[in-house]
Amino acid sequence: VKPLALLDDASAQALAFDWLVDAIAPVSVYGERVFDELRPYRPGEERPAQERADRIAAIAANLDGGRLHGARETLRNLPDASGAIARAALGETLVDVGFFELQRFCDAIEHVDALLSGIRGVAPITNAAVRALSQALEAGRTTGGGFYLAGGFDTELERARRRLTQAEGELDAARARELERIARQLGRNDIGVDEFVVMRSDLRGSLPPGVRVLREASTYLLCTLEYDEPTLAALRDRARAADGVAVAEENVRARLSAKVREHAAQLEEAARELGELDVHLAAARFAQCHECSPAAISPEPVLSFVRARFLPLAVELTAAGRAFTPLDLELHDVAVLTGPNMGGKSVCLQTCGFIAICAAFGLPVPAGFARVGLFGEIAWLGIGGEDELGGLLSTFAKEVLRLREIFGRGVPPLLLLVDEFARTTNPHEGKALLVALLDSLRKRGALGMLATHLGGVAREGRARHFAVRGLLGIPRPPATSDLGKALATLAASMDYAIAEVTGDEAPRADAIALTALLGMDGAFVDAAYRALSQ
Amino acid sequence: MAEEQAVRVGLQLLELARARGAGSLLVVGTGKNVGKTVAMRAIYEAACDSGLRVGVASAGLDGEAVDQIETHPKPRLWLRAGTILATAAGALPRSPASEILGVSRLRSAVGRLVYARAAGTGFYELIGPSTASGLREVLDELSALSEFVIIDGAIDRLAALAGGHDAIVVAGGAATAKTVQEAADEIRALVQRLGVARFDPDDAVVRVQGALTVTQIGRLIALREQRQIVVRDPTQIALRGKALSQAFVKLRIRCERPLHVMATTIASIGPEWSLEPRTLVRAVAAATGLPTFDVYAGARAP
Repeated sequence: VKPLALLDDASAQALAFDWLVDAIAPVSVYGERVFDELRPYRPGEERPAQERADRIAAIAANLDGGRLHGARETLRNLPDASGAIARAALGETLVDVGFFELQRFCDAIEHVDALLSGIRGVAPITNAAVRALSQALEAGRTTGGGFYLAGGFDTELERARRRLTQAEGELDAARARELERIARQLGRNDIGVDEFVVMRSDLRGSLPPGVRVLREASTYLLCTLEYDEPTLAALRDRARAADGVAVAEENVRARLSAKVREHAAQLEEAARELGELDVHLAAARFAQCHECSPAAISPEPVLSFVRARFLPLAVELTAAGRAFTPLDLELHDVAVLTGPNMGGKSVCLQTCGFIAICAAFGLPVPAGFARVGLFGEIAWLGIGGEDELGGLLSTFAKEVLRLREIFGRGVPPLLLLVDEFARTTNPHEGKALLVALLDSLRKRGALGMLATHLGGVAREGRARHFAVRGLLGIPRPPATSDLGKALATLAASMDYAIAEVTGDEAPRADAIALTALLGMDGAFVDAAYRALSQ
Repeated sequence: MAEEQAVRVGLQLLELARARGAGSLLVVGTGKNVGKTVAMRAIYEAACDSGLRVGVASAGLDGEAVDQIETHPKPRLWLRAGTILATAAGALPRSPASEILGVSRLRSAVGRLVYARAAGTGFYELIGPSTASGLREVLDELSALSEFVIIDGAIDRLAALAGGHDAIVVAGGAATAKTVQEAADEIRALVQRLGVARFDPDDAVVRVQGALTVTQIGRLIALREQRQIVVRDPTQIALRGKALSQAFVKLRIRCERPLHVMATTIASIGPEWSLEPRTLVRAVAAATGLPTFDVYAGARAP
């Protein structure tokens, strides 16, 4: 998958792009080839993006888990026949491994077509070339599912093999007679190897005829066999018969390779379609597993969703026995997001980015409903996004340089997700910078969501204001210092939902409550509350 | 010392392995040209004569007409029809055609591996997977396709077999030792190293992460360590010569996943010199305490 200009490395990391790539990865070598070339749709490509998401959603809706699994398992173990097709197209005579791969390729296409027959969004892949090749290779099918250049391909091959079998029989008989005679004369059970040792002390008289000495030592002789004339004649007959088989086999291979060459273009097309099917099945599985539905792809730069989830976290929470609180949001220009620490501001931003990325790749999105535009760039600025800029700069300097880079790229329309930009400078100037950022984004026609703890940014920047609802009450710290219990208490007390704030922002003291919840002693917490009230 | 007996070496090795319940047998050597492939062929012939469906493979490059490293002539593998083999796709002879049973995602040093059934008798080149884990996969696949598997092994690939029931035969001889004593010591050292026993879970242990090195051994001996020194498997013991013998005398070296060395074979003839065969087979048997076979002479000691 190539994110190209849609995401830089820092944004890809912050928005868990690798997680998404793993979740929609195909299983076959054909799928991997298509997947490697997958790129996001650009603004103006709303229609194909919509069609792809709809097709995947249709497959997910119409295909039961068993058949989906069956089709993917068929694809998973499929050897790659593309090399064989290409070599045959170039005029090479293929080796038998190539025919095996091609037979498995044809079988898999026919099997998957039968399995997915009637599923909306899935067109059959079998074409005339697949049928012709499958028929041409049929004589090579073995009971164990292998391929053998059988005599059924050609009567001359059959005859040549019969001649070889006869010649081998005659050679084996002649050789066995020789070996038995020599072993008997040497007083041994058998002569197991081509070179053998005869101890001088065991030797009665001279060596039997047909034994040649390779090396002499004081106590033993290293010997080898020298066949007699009848055995050598049988050996020559066998060699001639083997040559005849080799020629007949090569003739069959040449004929089969010509058949592949004749249909190479259509076979390549089938291979590409098989790869695309694999990629679509992987995406359908993703949609089924995570209850995704296609977003309405908008020609406008908007991001609107109901009951959306940031899947990497949702999966992690589910594994821990907890649940992700789905988020609702409508964003059509710039907005500010406030809320308590650990209230999910960053997750809200990540949800925005994740939904936008899914839509950009023509995937159903993890939301009950979504309307999403296609963006030129989805960028993350702030916590987690500045690591790649080296250690000599301060956090604030890194953020400024990153913002400069993002604006410098100027790929419209931009979706900028800002997580506490300027949090490390003084609040007065930080606020001014955020207001300036809102203004700058507006002028660029960008969509932006700025999460911050600073008050008054939305009002002064004339931006819409969203807030995490926050703590439902001040939770009582657990009796123990167990962090897991503290987090569970926090989760039970926190309303992670996002709501638009229309009036003045009410001052909240959630941070001090969290400090208490996370185990700081009472005196410290009381001092903080006293300082706050002054 | 018992006299050596004239025997069918391949059949005896096969019977020893099967008596232990091993469905596969690996031949590893103290070095190059110590008769590994000759021993393997003897066992192969015996297994075929016994009517078994045999699978064969190599742990690396093997079966070439000439040794790739030392350019000495090597015994080639003449396989009978019906033998299952794992080798690189490009190493399969075009004629006689083989039945192709599967294409692995594993790669060898010269390309991807395939599983095939020899449809006709002929010379075959065995090229194995390039990793230890790959060898395990090949062995499992061949075990599923055949009744007895014979592998031309390499010591550095044995890790993947540790903890299994595969039988190991150690081959050694004149190619790597100038005297009978030297050859016997060398084979004994390898047998001792590969034959390290499983640790006793009820006794105290010092676990060694990764390889057990000379430096670690020196420290443990200096500390007069009495606990069991436990490595993951015998291939993690990176010791040779005096360090190895000292370690086995002064420490209790054990492993989590043992290997099963069941016999040794000797090749008294090396490329440059040879050793007296009867003396060698007796010396190796005495040094290792294992049944020892001279494949070339068709002899066994004790």
